[in-house]
Amino acid sequence: MGKEILNNVAILAVLILVQVLICNSIMLFNVAMAFVFIYVIIRLPMNLNTNWLLTWGFFAGLAVDMFSDTPGVNSLACTLLAMLKRPMLYAYVPRDDRTKDIEPSLSTLGFAVYGKYLISMSTVYCLLTFTIEYFNFADVKEIVIMSAASSLFTFLILLGVDSLIVTHREKRL
Amino acid sequence: MRNILNFIIRYSKWFVFTLYVVVSCMLLVDNNVYQQSVYLTSANRVTGGVFGVWSQITGYFHLKSINESLQVTNADLQNQVLNLKSRLAELQSLRDDSTVNQSDRERFGYVSAAVINNNTRHPKNFFTINRGRLDGVRPGMGVVDQNGVVGIVNVTGDHLSRVISLLNETQVFSVKLKGTGFAGTLTWRGNDPAVGYVEEIPRHARYAIGDTIVTSGFSTSFPEGIPVGVVLNRVHGRDDSFFTFKVRLTSDFKALSSVRVIKDIYKNEIDSLATFDDIEKLVTGKKKDADKKKDADTKTEVKNNQ
Repeated sequence: MGKEILNNVAILAVLILVQVLICNSIMLFNVAMAFVFIYVIIRLPMNLNTNWLLTWGFFAGLAVDMFSDTPGVNSLACTLLAMLKRPMLYAYVPRDDRTKDIEPSLSTLGFAVYGKYLISMSTVYCLLTFTIEYFNFADVKEIVIMSAASSLFTFLILLGVDSLIVTHREKRL
Repeated sequence: MRNILNFIIRYSKWFVFTLYVVVSCMLLVDNNVYQQSVYLTSANRVTGGVFGVWSQITGYFHLKSINESLQVTNADLQNQVLNLKSRLAELQSLRDDSTVNQSDRERFGYVSAAVINNNTRHPKNFFTINRGRLDGVRPGMGVVDQNGVVGIVNVTGDHLSRVISLLNETQVFSVKLKGTGFAGTLTWRGNDPAVGYVEEIPRHARYAIGDTIVTSGFSTSFPEGIPVGVVLNRVHGRDDSFFTFKVRLTSDFKALSSVRVIKDIYKNEIDSLATFDDIEKLVTGKKKDADKKKDADTKTEVKNNQ
């Protein structure tokens, strides 16, 4: 358990650095951004206590906010995303497998389930964060276009991140 | 009691959820709490340290373009030196009559700084510089680079400061058409980091496309005449009794690297003059109270005498 937590903390630290130092300065075609650090929320074990899940989400978001001077934007979006993680996962994972202690990833869930789960999570996150940040600033059309482009970009990047992070003793469904 | 505990444990996730959402919303909405604390900004020691190391690595990437713009500025300055030298020679003969105002020339001082973190894609952009309170940087000071105005200092730590970028929809700058007295306000409306808008220029102002916009010198943040942008065209503004110009900004905000913070030695004096009326009111108010008291005292004295 302790080893897993340390492992996740290390992944989070690296992803936050990648987010604030590299991804924050990339904006593809002026619409698409990548949010890599939400991978930690996506990856946390399926049956982790919701309180812990929310705590992970909030502090991950707060850390990114501190670096990018967007107070509250990412912490609010991450808290909401953490709350939505379980319903989202349950929508795709068969009922029998829900009690298993697995970390959602491509190798444990398979492409069909994990792909749907990943694109849903990134779409929800992009919609939330752009709505929170650009509220009163850009019109709805712009927010929708940016969210759509960014969620696709984030999805692709996160698939890559997922294939990079391989743990040795992963349990399969 | 047990029921209450059971209730709390059962719905604990909603309590935790509400707590985090409320904290996030406070950060999001209440700018004052947040801005007083350096710890939650990019000017704190940890984030500043990370960005410091990173900027040492990536600082080399923009060197070419910065070099080019420095050469242009250098050439301009050399021209100016030559012009001024000839003018000086011209005026040398009239020296006995002239009274040069030394103090005005030395009113502004500069602190040079490096940009260690920069954003251009948010509606409210900030950047971080590696000079802080111990270097004499204070909130409200103006920041310029080799091309022109880039922002105003907002939060200062001991060694780092966060600067409100010109690319921040909430920040307004006082500017004017170069060579005239027609002043207006410069704002940024998002999307394009190279374009700003100058509003509230009087309708009788004469202008041409390509005119330079410079700082007006009305605030203590910037001296008069620092370039800000070049007029691209006139657009429809919110108020048709004024001109609104679309302006191409002179600074390249995507490649900010070395900047200068402007210190105004008269800042405290000017700011205290701006609040002079309030102080006056306070003093006269106290005086009136004292007078009233005196009146009351004399009245009671008269009564006692009677």
